[in-house]
Amino acid sequence: MADVKKFTTVEELEADTTKLYERACELCADTWQQRAEAQKNHCKFGEGGICCKNCSMGPCRITPKAPKGICGADAHAIAARNYLRMICAGTSSHSDHAREILHVLHETKPEGPYIVRDEQKLIRLAREWDVAVDNRDIYSIAHEVAEKGLEEFGKSFGEMRFPSRAIESQQAIWRREGIWPRAIDREVVTSLHMTHMGNSADPEALIRQGMRTALSHGWGGSMLGTEITDILFGTPTVWETEGNLGVLENDLVNIVVHGHDPVFSEAIVTAAESKEILDYAKSKNIKGINVVGLCCTANEIAMRHGVRMVGNFLQQENAILTGAVEMMCVDIQCIFPALPQLAQCFHTKFVTSSPIARIPGADYVEFNPSTASEQAKLLVKQAIDNFEYRDTSKVWIPESKQTAVVGYPTEQIIKHLDAITNSHVDEIGSYRPAVDAIKAGVLRGAVAIVGCNNPRVRPDFSHYEIIKTLLKNDILVVATGCAAQLATKTGLMRKEAKFECGAGLRRVCDLMDIPPVLHMGACVDISRMMLLANGIARDWGINLDQIPVVGCAPEWMSEKAVSIANYVVSTGLDVYLGIEPQVNGSSQMMEWITEGTRKLTGGGFIINTDPEQLVKNIIDGIEAKRKALGI
Amino acid sequence: METKKTLFSRVFDGSDEMFAWAERSIAEVSAKYDDSTPIAYQNTAYFLAILYSMTGRKNQTLGELKESLAWCKSQMTKDERLDDVFRSGIATACAAEIIEACKYVGGATPYSEPFYGHMSDAEVRELGVPLVTGDIPGFVVLIGAAPSDDQTAEIIKSYQSKSIYVFLVGECAIQAQRKGLTMNHAVRVYPVGMELPSVAHVVSVAVRAAMIFGGIQPGDYEGIKKYTFDRVNAAVNAFEPVPDITVACGGGAIAYGFPVVTNDEKDMWAVPRSLIIQPDITQFVDTAIEARGMKLKITNIDIPVAYATAFEGEVIRKADMQVEANGSRHDSLELCRLRELSEVEDHKITVVGKDLEEYEFGSQMNLAMVVEVAGKKMQPDFEPVFERQFHAWINAIEGVMHTGQRDMIRVRVGKQAYEAGFRLKHFGEVLYAMVKSEYEAVVDKCQVTIYTDAETVKQLRAEANDVYDKRDARLLSLTDESVKDFFSCIMCQSFSPSHVCIVTPERLGLCGAVSWLDAKATYELDNSGPCRIVPKGDSTDDVIGIWPNVDDAVQQYSMGALEHVTLYSIMQDPMTSCGCFECICGIEPTSGGVVIVNREHVPMTPLGMTFSEMASMTGGGVQTPGYMGHGKHFIASKKFMAADGGSARIVWMPKALKDQVGEKLNKTAKELFGIDNFTDSIGDETITEDDPEALLNFLTEHNHPVLTLEPLI
Repeated sequence: MADVKKFTTVEELEADTTKLYERACELCADTWQQRAEAQKNHCKFGEGGICCKNCSMGPCRITPKAPKGICGADAHAIAARNYLRMICAGTSSHSDHAREILHVLHETKPEGPYIVRDEQKLIRLAREWDVAVDNRDIYSIAHEVAEKGLEEFGKSFGEMRFPSRAIESQQAIWRREGIWPRAIDREVVTSLHMTHMGNSADPEALIRQGMRTALSHGWGGSMLGTEITDILFGTPTVWETEGNLGVLENDLVNIVVHGHDPVFSEAIVTAAESKEILDYAKSKNIKGINVVGLCCTANEIAMRHGVRMVGNFLQQENAILTGAVEMMCVDIQCIFPALPQLAQCFHTKFVTSSPIARIPGADYVEFNPSTASEQAKLLVKQAIDNFEYRDTSKVWIPESKQTAVVGYPTEQIIKHLDAITNSHVDEIGSYRPAVDAIKAGVLRGAVAIVGCNNPRVRPDFSHYEIIKTLLKNDILVVATGCAAQLATKTGLMRKEAKFECGAGLRRVCDLMDIPPVLHMGACVDISRMMLLANGIARDWGINLDQIPVVGCAPEWMSEKAVSIANYVVSTGLDVYLGIEPQVNGSSQMMEWITEGTRKLTGGGFIINTDPEQLVKNIIDGIEAKRKALGI
Repeated sequence: METKKTLFSRVFDGSDEMFAWAERSIAEVSAKYDDSTPIAYQNTAYFLAILYSMTGRKNQTLGELKESLAWCKSQMTKDERLDDVFRSGIATACAAEIIEACKYVGGATPYSEPFYGHMSDAEVRELGVPLVTGDIPGFVVLIGAAPSDDQTAEIIKSYQSKSIYVFLVGECAIQAQRKGLTMNHAVRVYPVGMELPSVAHVVSVAVRAAMIFGGIQPGDYEGIKKYTFDRVNAAVNAFEPVPDITVACGGGAIAYGFPVVTNDEKDMWAVPRSLIIQPDITQFVDTAIEARGMKLKITNIDIPVAYATAFEGEVIRKADMQVEANGSRHDSLELCRLRELSEVEDHKITVVGKDLEEYEFGSQMNLAMVVEVAGKKMQPDFEPVFERQFHAWINAIEGVMHTGQRDMIRVRVGKQAYEAGFRLKHFGEVLYAMVKSEYEAVVDKCQVTIYTDAETVKQLRAEANDVYDKRDARLLSLTDESVKDFFSCIMCQSFSPSHVCIVTPERLGLCGAVSWLDAKATYELDNSGPCRIVPKGDSTDDVIGIWPNVDDAVQQYSMGALEHVTLYSIMQDPMTSCGCFECICGIEPTSGGVVIVNREHVPMTPLGMTFSEMASMTGGGVQTPGYMGHGKHFIASKKFMAADGGSARIVWMPKALKDQVGEKLNKTAKELFGIDNFTDSIGDETITEDDPEALLNFLTEHNHPVLTLEPLI
């Protein structure tokens, strides 16, 4: 066996976390571990989704003695309404993020600060949307595309555009089931209306609206977010980077960018590389500036600049606890309100930048695209100024880090597939080579591992165990979000991870020159995964629910995840969950999310909180799909 | 819903078929022979090479072969995973090897015209250099038969014209035979056998390459697979119909990294870069080359016949000879001269005297081929380097044979080449194109003149002899002491990753292909190429030949695999070998001398080992004191194992080798030891093939100097 640098185990990750946690206790700082302990045991009504607070007659909680709320809504109605509201919140998050980015596109101009970096992608999208492109200034096209994109949120009539990217059989299903989304805001508002006191009590109706809303997310807000971000900042390409807390540097100014929207973090990265700032650092005898990413912001800038990734969701406090962070700049989503207080235990400056995520105790610098450069430079200078206040006696940076190869959007995957075609028999620009490898059995299938960390389970453990088992079974893994970061920091995103794979996947990695876990981006980029699955089904000539490709969210926690899981099943793909959605107080809802949706679109949830069992379920599911195809 | 049988099931069923066949073969030989019956292929030190490489088992008796068959069965697992397909595929190749081995039981010679069956180690080793230089871009094995003889012949010729080595398994060989194709190792078309299991002999070549050149240990299952996948450029062309048993062999081929191209569309599954369905067999060649990523050396030369290194081994018989130039009978020569830039007109090709059509069929001619080169970076030392290539360049012309060098050349133009329109100016085109393409970094201009006029050639020969003499004098003045730099050569690291040659004026590369001047020219052509300068610096022991700079160089270029190399001893840190050495020497304990064997010599030696067996002691970048691979011309060098007693240690050599190096060796022995006709005291196979006592008696009778030396061990 080749000499491969060892992988980092979950135990090793946990040892660092424990050490940082102990330091936090010494400083009397408050961290998620303590809060999770304090929150035990969770409210059973909340867990079951059967507490209704939608009017002030309640809250009503369903028990055997009180099987109905005051209005008469039963457990099924209440659980379904609560569930739909989670979908709405998730859809809103990614979609509002996309809306902000569309506004940035609308403000692009040749002299910047924001410009169009991927003109070809813009032109492709313009053509798709019937925006005139010939003999036209690229910024004029960009602005009209931005307007068209913004229409997707609240058009008066008609329906959304991106779902027609799906293969015809899938479009037909959406038509048949009446879940083709009309507009993003429309679906969210309709959902909130439906869940208002005195409206829908029928789980099926609420589930169907949930699917339609989720589709406005996956084939709407999320896809817009991805496409427009690519146009603005470039479609990601392959980069070698590093991941885990060890990317913080003892002798450099460390700036952590955290959140999801790259508009802010891109400006920080650019500012930190500018001559003005480097000169400023030099004048202060500082060797350099180390900008690192956390959470999905890390994913965004890693795949566009190779910026290193300091950690995933449950490491946000760890980063500050190293005592080596001069500044943490956050944008939106998944940011602990606990952070400003924790930062105060150190010299760390904590900066919020978005009106969407206002947190008490933070320095708030409302970020404005038109003044992005100046704002970013000012912040980086503040971080530099803060370096001298670092208390080295409080610094401890864990050594652990791994290299990773990141940046595989669909365009990049196609490039690698092109490289294994034979020009005498194959066409390029298709997923056909992947389809052939799956049909022949070399690859058994593919799994999209996505989602968060969750203290309900052993953090990162299920990601690791599931990914490793899938690789051994010749199942390719594509990953986004915090799951992708786990693969980064353990070393599973190195090309050498092929040695952890079965012979089939290993051969594919060898031939395609890829790692066995492909980094597809942030959680908003799960839209890329939908296009990947859609492309595979298209080039195979079968329906989406037939391909041996599934999703898995082993440690999901956010409302975004609930919405994502729903658009994935609405796209015909099964989703394997390691955390139970909060509807188990309703037998009908449990039936709906596991089997009911399958009858509508072919996709449903398979839930198992034991990772060892869950991965078995995935493999069985993939093999069952293969069997049905006669392969 | 797919209705055809899955690819994996086809492999599993096919491997069962091959296993059942092997069981039958074993049963048949067991009826006649007992378990202690020896099992062996001829002329190999690697036993049944596939089984040896994959398991480390030597399989020297029928009993052991039976155990290996059981091992094959244990490998034929059937989970729906590629790992099982690869294991079953390799076990299928092993079962095929068992079937083949049964054919050879009892010293049988199961193969005859046109088939060759098992390939000898010497032949495998011979492929080392051309594979390294890219002169053989790869191997292809054809299995089955194209719809017509013509199509098969077309495919074979097409590969041949690209210098790709072709193995033939099954009916395609018969088709090629019907078409009258010349087929043998020398022309790189090797009909293996009629039955599918004979494909084991092809796999055997690939795995032996891993052990010989890669130094991969027998039994390192993953290591062998990795080596063949990374470094052996081979592909399979399987003609329809392709039954399960062939698909199973294909599984093995793909496991080793060799893609399969087939025109069988029925029940076949495409796998990218591995199993390629190409319905159009006229595209087989290009499809296979692309699938395996073989890099062709493209030489576009405007001549009416094909041009490829595969034709180097072609023999033109007298009966097929249009015209011949034979330097030993009629003045003929080849010469490369450095000129001023103003004296050379680029691509000017001139013929002085009669052209080929003016000679009768079968007649003799005078021939002088003079190549004049100019360039700002040219050095006089490059003249002989270029000139020595003429042999290979002229030989690569289809239908033309070239032997010898300088004024002792012999060139035959075949009838077919002549009829295809080959004329003297085409020699010029070939020499011009090759000089310019191989040495473009230093040659700015090149012109070629071909002379046939007897008087002019006679005059030229006298001038040329002057040049040759001056060069020889220069060469003689080049000693390890007189130069300030040595060179490292890692040309064969693509095959033998931890081997480094140190090339000095008195010690050429062990492959025989890289002299100090060659290395120097290679370095001048490309400073970051395979040959690098090693500033000699001071030695710490000039008897054994220890230079700290040399040690640094081998450490650097072997990536730390080697730490020390001495230049003049075979006992202390001898230089390593890649595996493509021309000769190997090894200590003969009875006399205290060394036996030297060249690759071409097949029979036993007084060491009790054949060339192949001795060669397997070293190679792959391994240091084995007492054994060393080297070039033929090193034998007569004053530096040949100088620390261990020098050439006075040589006690036995095959007669042919003795004849080849005798003159120079005698000269060296006279100078060093004052011995006349030293080679007369060296044993050969006419004295004894394998008896050390008989050799010792011979040495004593002839007063061989080794008997006065201290024992080596």
